[in-house]
Amino acid sequence: MTDASQRAAPSGSPLRRAAIFVALVVLAGLFLAPTVGVIFSAFKTTRDISLGELWSIPSRLFLGNFAVVLEKPEIYVYLRNTFIVAISASLLSITLGSLAGYVFAKLPFFGSELLFLLFVSGLFFPPQIVLIPLFKMFNGMGLIDTLWALIIVHTAMGIPICTLLMRNFLISVPDALRESALVEGVSEWRILLFVVLPISLPALAVLATLQFTWIWNDFLWPLIMVQSDEKRTVMLGLVFLRGQYSVAWGIQGALALLASLPTLLVFLFFQRYFISGMTMGAVKG
Amino acid sequence: MTGVSLRGVEKKFGSVEVIKNVSLNVEPGEFLVFVGPSGSGKSTLLRMIAGLAETSAGTIHIAGRDVTRMPPGWREVAMVFQSYALYPHMTVEQNMSFGLRMTGAPKQKIEQRVAEAARILRIEPLLTRKPKQLSGGQRQRVAIGRAIVRDPKVFLFDEPLSNLDAALRLEMRVEIARIHAEIGATMIYVTHDQVEAMTLADRIVVINHGEIEQIGAPLELYEKPINKFVAGFLGQPKMNFLTGVLIERGANAVTVRLDDCECNDLVLNLPLPLSADDRITLGVRPDALAVVPPGAEGLPATVKVVEHLGSESIVYASVGRRAEFIAARLQGKTGVRHADPVTLRIDTSRCHVFDGSGLSLW
Repeated sequence: MTDASQRAAPSGSPLRRAAIFVALVVLAGLFLAPTVGVIFSAFKTTRDISLGELWSIPSRLFLGNFAVVLEKPEIYVYLRNTFIVAISASLLSITLGSLAGYVFAKLPFFGSELLFLLFVSGLFFPPQIVLIPLFKMFNGMGLIDTLWALIIVHTAMGIPICTLLMRNFLISVPDALRESALVEGVSEWRILLFVVLPISLPALAVLATLQFTWIWNDFLWPLIMVQSDEKRTVMLGLVFLRGQYSVAWGIQGALALLASLPTLLVFLFFQRYFISGMTMGAVKG
Repeated sequence: MTGVSLRGVEKKFGSVEVIKNVSLNVEPGEFLVFVGPSGSGKSTLLRMIAGLAETSAGTIHIAGRDVTRMPPGWREVAMVFQSYALYPHMTVEQNMSFGLRMTGAPKQKIEQRVAEAARILRIEPLLTRKPKQLSGGQRQRVAIGRAIVRDPKVFLFDEPLSNLDAALRLEMRVEIARIHAEIGATMIYVTHDQVEAMTLADRIVVINHGEIEQIGAPLELYEKPINKFVAGFLGQPKMNFLTGVLIERGANAVTVRLDDCECNDLVLNLPLPLSADDRITLGVRPDALAVVPPGAEGLPATVKVVEHLGSESIVYASVGRRAEFIAARLQGKTGVRHADPVTLRIDTSRCHVFDGSGLSLW
């Protein structure tokens, strides 16, 4: 049987379905408009932008903005900084979240449910609440204007979501897998490393994508914690990037596109793991 | 060859006692089956032997070594789980060798052991497959193979056939019996299926409410159950229980009046240690009943259900005001049908008699 033949028959009158379709197209257009605006302006000259509208189609494909961006040496510093922060904070938060999630899912102890709630409550704190105390604390520790400040903050901020996701995923992994390995004399560490984590790839892929994208795109923490130009991340750099004589819409658009490439690549790389079913065949099925 | 010995073993979850003072010996090379209803504690007891559940009191010895406080990996046991518990990301070969690889066994020894186990289980063609590419029966073979590879002192099976369909279950039951005969290892097997227990076991341990009801060879338990629970648990269809009161006691015979029966008093030629007015329960196996035309000596009954199994037939009949049907097993085919009036004749020489507390008197 083909997919089409298994699809449920559409409900409602043709008119109703047409109305819904039109509404969805309009909404999609509205949501996409800013992105389209950025993409168009990246390929326009400054003159084109000031003459026309933001959303007008470029009269010709102008690549000068990209050339300007790629010639700026500070852009590479911004990108390098962002990679350092995003990769290390993603790795750290996922590692710590996996460890905590494993304990909460498979090695419960007295009060662990309460502690888990405490972990997860971190999700509901707006970062602005801890902004000033954290700034003072990091200032006292001499971490202001270092990438360490960003790595530490993003790791800490990422632990709640990583713990929540990993715990909920690991709960669904049959206990018998761990117990079977225990009886075989395998240590808890090796069970985590060789049994549990390999079958957690779908959850880890989701987390890697979420964390990397979130940290890469973050603007607030670099704005607060970083002052000098050589410690800026790419999102901060984007704002501080100005043309020689005016606000450089085209150049900013070009950098914005370049800056979103890594998150797009991360998503494309991990999306094949999103298809779960790794535990199929482990137990009755 | 290794034995297992439990001495006064107990398990408590808070104030709830799930295993109560269990003591037993498993002889080297023996196939011992724990059988009991759901929640009887049989799986908990097995997990305690494996070290997956802590022991609250008492001691567990394997091969003469006290393992009560040892982690599972040090006990040199292997366990086969109901859910197979195969590692889904590893091939059959990797699954079987995982424990040995992780504990640093030499490569040559691992290969030799895996090949040997694969030969015993006849799964050589499957070694490169992943678990999801295997059928239920093949998965369970691999799980058993993973146990054999480790050459453990004791094999523990936790309801290994419960996830299989009826035909596969029968096939794997024979297979497990064959493997036991071939490798001769000590095996402890948990099941709630009394047919598995009767066919596989050297000895059966009947467990109920965390206590051992009786230990013995399958036929010994079937023929000489020490109480109503064991009598009712083993046998298919289960033993019929008829309650009544002793109205007259002679030297070598007693007369019993059955409850809700509307039948003549029953004379049992048994020297029972009872007095008049004592309440008793008669236990009658379905094959100790004959279905005869109405009017004969016996229990007047009405046929409710007839099951034709080919070589035998099971007749379920209602007797008097009893709520439960009485089952009778007849050899070959039977002509009786639904709603036929019949008489059930009890072979009193094969009756079991239980006292008011359920203990066996005969």
